[in-house]
Amino acid sequence: MICGGVDAGSRAIKTMLFDLARSEVLAFGMSDQGVEQERLATELFDRLLQQAGLARAQVAAVVATGYGRNAIRFADTTITEITCHARGVHHLAPDARTIIEIGGQDSKVIALEERGRVRDFAMNDRCAAGTGRFLEMVAARLDMGWDKLSALAQASRTPAQISNVCAVFAETEIIGLLAAGQPLPDVVAGVQNAVATRVGALAGRVVVSPVYFTGGVALQPGMARALEAVLGCPVLVPRQPQFTGALGAAILAGERAR
Amino acid sequence: MNALMPKLDLAGWDRRYAELQGRGLHEAAYGGPLRRHVDRDRDFRLEQLQFDGSAAALRLWNFLLTENERLHQARGRGEKIVGTMKDLGTVPVMAYALPGLRAFYPDGAWWTPCLMEGSDQLLQQAESLGIDASFCPVRAMLPAFQNGEHFPRPDLLICSTGAVCDDFSAIAQRLEHLGHAIFWWEMPRRRAPEPGEGACVLPGNLTAPSIQVDCVRLELERVRLALAELAGVPLDDARLADGLRAANRVRRLLASLRQAVYAAPAAPLPALEMLVAEMLAIHFCSDREETVAVLAELLAEAHSRLRRGHFVSGAQAVRVFWVNPVADLRAMNLLEDCGGRLAGADFMFSHALDLIPEDLPPLEALARTALADPMVGPATDRAARVVRECRANRAEAVVIARIPGASHCVREGEIIRQTVRQTLDLPVIELEIPPVSDAMLPALASRLQAVVETALARRSK
Repeated sequence: MICGGVDAGSRAIKTMLFDLARSEVLAFGMSDQGVEQERLATELFDRLLQQAGLARAQVAAVVATGYGRNAIRFADTTITEITCHARGVHHLAPDARTIIEIGGQDSKVIALEERGRVRDFAMNDRCAAGTGRFLEMVAARLDMGWDKLSALAQASRTPAQISNVCAVFAETEIIGLLAAGQPLPDVVAGVQNAVATRVGALAGRVVVSPVYFTGGVALQPGMARALEAVLGCPVLVPRQPQFTGALGAAILAGERAR
Repeated sequence: MNALMPKLDLAGWDRRYAELQGRGLHEAAYGGPLRRHVDRDRDFRLEQLQFDGSAAALRLWNFLLTENERLHQARGRGEKIVGTMKDLGTVPVMAYALPGLRAFYPDGAWWTPCLMEGSDQLLQQAESLGIDASFCPVRAMLPAFQNGEHFPRPDLLICSTGAVCDDFSAIAQRLEHLGHAIFWWEMPRRRAPEPGEGACVLPGNLTAPSIQVDCVRLELERVRLALAELAGVPLDDARLADGLRAANRVRRLLASLRQAVYAAPAAPLPALEMLVAEMLAIHFCSDREETVAVLAELLAEAHSRLRRGHFVSGAQAVRVFWVNPVADLRAMNLLEDCGGRLAGADFMFSHALDLIPEDLPPLEALARTALADPMVGPATDRAARVVRECRANRAEAVVIARIPGASHCVREGEIIRQTVRQTLDLPVIELEIPPVSDAMLPALASRLQAVVETALARRSK
């Protein structure tokens, strides 16, 4: 049975086609989010179908997730990103007990039971300082691609202390640090630590290992290291961490259609 | 045969009102169509809400939304108006024990920015009066006192201080500096008795040192004299005992209503109306006798629906225990839109729901009840009660609503969350809900849907 998942996130739309019987990803793709979410998602989904050599009618069911899920009218149903990320990560790493997902405009900590069911979760969507948006803002301020931040931070010897908990004021602080001659790698490492600290606070004191880190921000290896330092345990990054929501959505679509 | 009762928006209520009138609807003096509260009072938020369609709910809303005019009418009749702040359910019991006194709750102005969707400008005006957005929306009370548009200026203003919300203390002090004389009475922070120390049992399965109860009783003695002086008649024990029994009548009705709605397999009344109904416990919405009538009608409606199998939520709706009132009433609708239903609530005044002991000297009984206030004791006490009520009503998830700026206990939400998780292993979410949450509705809905999905998945364990 072939099923589809659409993760209409705040920064990007991710889609996936999944063969449930073979437990195999057939195609996946991503595009930037925009005002016309439905059109963007449809175009992306059609592209995937073409890539996989499939017709729409061959897809048994589609689940949409993410903040824009209700705009995806071609989906059969919607499921929240909490449930979808949990299902996606459980598929990739059945031993996962905690998921940290840092997306463009929110972050989540999901506690899983042994069989992968969600036990509890916490979300931050009120404060940019614990999200990918903060990193984007810093990258823009430094006039570099945000994917370059991690490599830069690796050269840090003494990460700067970003004391402000508000992303807007933290930006002012960063400007001040740079003006004071603080090395760029130290400032970037400080920013990563600040994001990790915010997410660590969201996770609370008890984080059960193994911890998996997903979402677009997980593509930055420096962020996983910063989280490890805050949480005091290894933080693992699954393959294509930005697609776990779409993967979970596709699997759930198949399970529901079955 | 079970049936799902549709909720009504304001336009739906226009039609329903005409229909009820056609059927000979009997209304209280404050009755009328809901629409008039938008047209006349600018309660624009009503246009965004979904209401229960019963005559009992109409009466509840009209009762709630006519408080200002009823207070003015009472003053016109020569009654004295008492503003009772912060204690949430103690001083009003005393005030209503006296003839010619009418107590209200100025703190209730914190809902005005929601109801009027900010058109009242109260929060902005509070800032110009020295209390900014870092404080709880109850700061709306400050300009409401100044402009006199939302409640009449009270003849006597009574406020508890000490172990109460620090935000509120700051706002009340500012109010006094602005020229509104306040009669303060002190509430100590409730603690567990030391070994060997004299102890008293309080309502709500709590205990406190006798010395603390004595302290509150002496403070309430001062309040008793102040109220008696205003009324011009002594507030003796016999009169006070009558007042306690009358307050308990309200509390018994509320207990029955809570039992009928929260324990039922599917909800016979919506979450929003239950929030409003529970709020009546605090100061009887300025009319104790009418509160009895309003609650009795709601209870009759709930029982009638249960008998007929008429519900406002499906049997599959997730049973959610809700902690804290919401700054935006729309959030209660959202719970049901997302597949949940109310199966218990702690709206921060559980002591006003507990029966006041009738076998004790009345002031002693009131002192014990006042000291059972969840806000004056450790958050662990409150968490323990939440756990008990979750168990009793078979809650499947807990939602803790936070009020932006409110800081009576910064760690309370986390303590409740941890206690519920450890004791009951239920999913718990915290939501911060501002007075007008429209821009946040997708995020709020996402979280509520996620908690509903999580609870549903656990049913198949």
